[in-house]
Amino acid sequence: MLRSLSKYGIAAALLCATGSVAFADKLQDVLDRGYLIAGSGSTNAPWHFKDENNELVGFDIDMLRLIAKGLFDDPTKIEFVNQSGDARIPNLATDKVDVACQFMTVTAGRAQQVEFTVPYYREGVGLMLMANGDYKSHSDLLAAGDDVTVSVLQNVYAEEMVHAALPEANVDQYESVDLMYQALNSGRSAAAATDQSSLSWFMAQNPDRYLDAGYGWNPQSYSCAVKPGDQRWLNFVNSVLHEAMTGVEFNTYAASFKKWFAAELSPPQIGFPVEFK
Amino acid sequence: MEILQALTAIWGARWPIMEGVGNTLFISLISIFLGTFLGVVVGLLLTYGGKIVRFLVRLYSDFLRGTPVFVLILACFYILSVIGIQLSAIQAGIFALTLFCSSHVGEIVRGALQAIPKGQTEAAKSVGLTFRTTFFSVLLPQALRQILPTWVNTATEIVKASTLLSIIGVVELLLSVQQVISRTYLSLELYFFAGFVFFLINFTIEKIGRYVERKVAIPT
Repeated sequence: MLRSLSKYGIAAALLCATGSVAFADKLQDVLDRGYLIAGSGSTNAPWHFKDENNELVGFDIDMLRLIAKGLFDDPTKIEFVNQSGDARIPNLATDKVDVACQFMTVTAGRAQQVEFTVPYYREGVGLMLMANGDYKSHSDLLAAGDDVTVSVLQNVYAEEMVHAALPEANVDQYESVDLMYQALNSGRSAAAATDQSSLSWFMAQNPDRYLDAGYGWNPQSYSCAVKPGDQRWLNFVNSVLHEAMTGVEFNTYAASFKKWFAAELSPPQIGFPVEFK
Repeated sequence: MEILQALTAIWGARWPIMEGVGNTLFISLISIFLGTFLGVVVGLLLTYGGKIVRFLVRLYSDFLRGTPVFVLILACFYILSVIGIQLSAIQAGIFALTLFCSSHVGEIVRGALQAIPKGQTEAAKSVGLTFRTTFFSVLLPQALRQILPTWVNTATEIVKASTLLSIIGVVELLLSVQQVISRTYLSLELYFFAGFVFFLINFTIEKIGRYVERKVAIPT
């Protein structure tokens, strides 16, 4: 109900907003303004959340700061607009934000409403095990068949999702992330299945307690998004993200990646550009 | 222990949470105040207005009462910005809640005024009171007794509806608590805490309402 209502809101907003896109030069506007207005959330670790000092931090936030750094040579020239997931598209359509980086899954449907940048992360579902548990990897779980129970967040597709990786496993659905992890801790389940990024972050917070089963599935791309119709601005944000992953800002990107996902990235191979291999 | 962990998390985030409580109180109180003022006007127009005025105000009231608060909030934030009125999230939220509150208070006031026997207005007229004095000295004191219990109800509804402002990015009590949850994963404990604080706010409003009710009650 809420979803469809917000969709109508979005549709109405879009309908009215499309009249004024001609001659937009967002890049110049932002440069003249002197700071970037960036849309993101505040309630999803490790993407965008408030740390103990009430500072907005996370991987999305680091990407946005990279864009600000690209614009003004200063990652602090940025104003964050706190938005819910539902507000990502309408806030772009009504020019409340210049760009949104908020773990936004690229879908063809959304790509008709906003313009996506190049992806800056590939999300997927992963499996987390207890480090001292009976199973050490995905193949162990697979071999155990219906002896294993997997805890997962409540979802219409939860059962189907788990069975894609472990066809015979029992599935226990939980209402919140903490309950799902609790089930793993107490031995009610042998593994917890959820977004790889959430697992990586949780494991980084509790070193040596858990184990990654080393298997990922259900891929989805996370991209930043801009209002459609301004190629120059889209190109600019694309350049920043692309060079963060392959060029001059690689070290910043890799440091951020390590901080939030506890994984080392090796630098792109020097010589022929990796993206054309 | 989970409880201890939750208390530590709440204590650690006491300032952001206090800020959230402050925002909830600020938004609710302003909306209730403005909404009540506007609502009394709506109620008066619905009761004493001419035919055309009554029709227009009825349209306003029915439209707002028949629309989910959620949609009102989205409309105030997005539709207004499309037609060139740029309200901040908090302003748009207060605007939406004020409109919502006014339509409800309007109906409460209309009901209370219409419940007073016509003979009283006629009696007031016959002793030469103007409409103004009739309203303030004869009708309002009686209507107030009818209005108060339902008005308290509307006020608590507004406090609860203020949680919906998180959708447009206003960091009120609920969102400030959700921010702590995203860091600590203590969802059950912290949602319970948020619920308890909302209860305290609404309980206080109810107590104040009761107190005023006693004050305006007919002495026995």
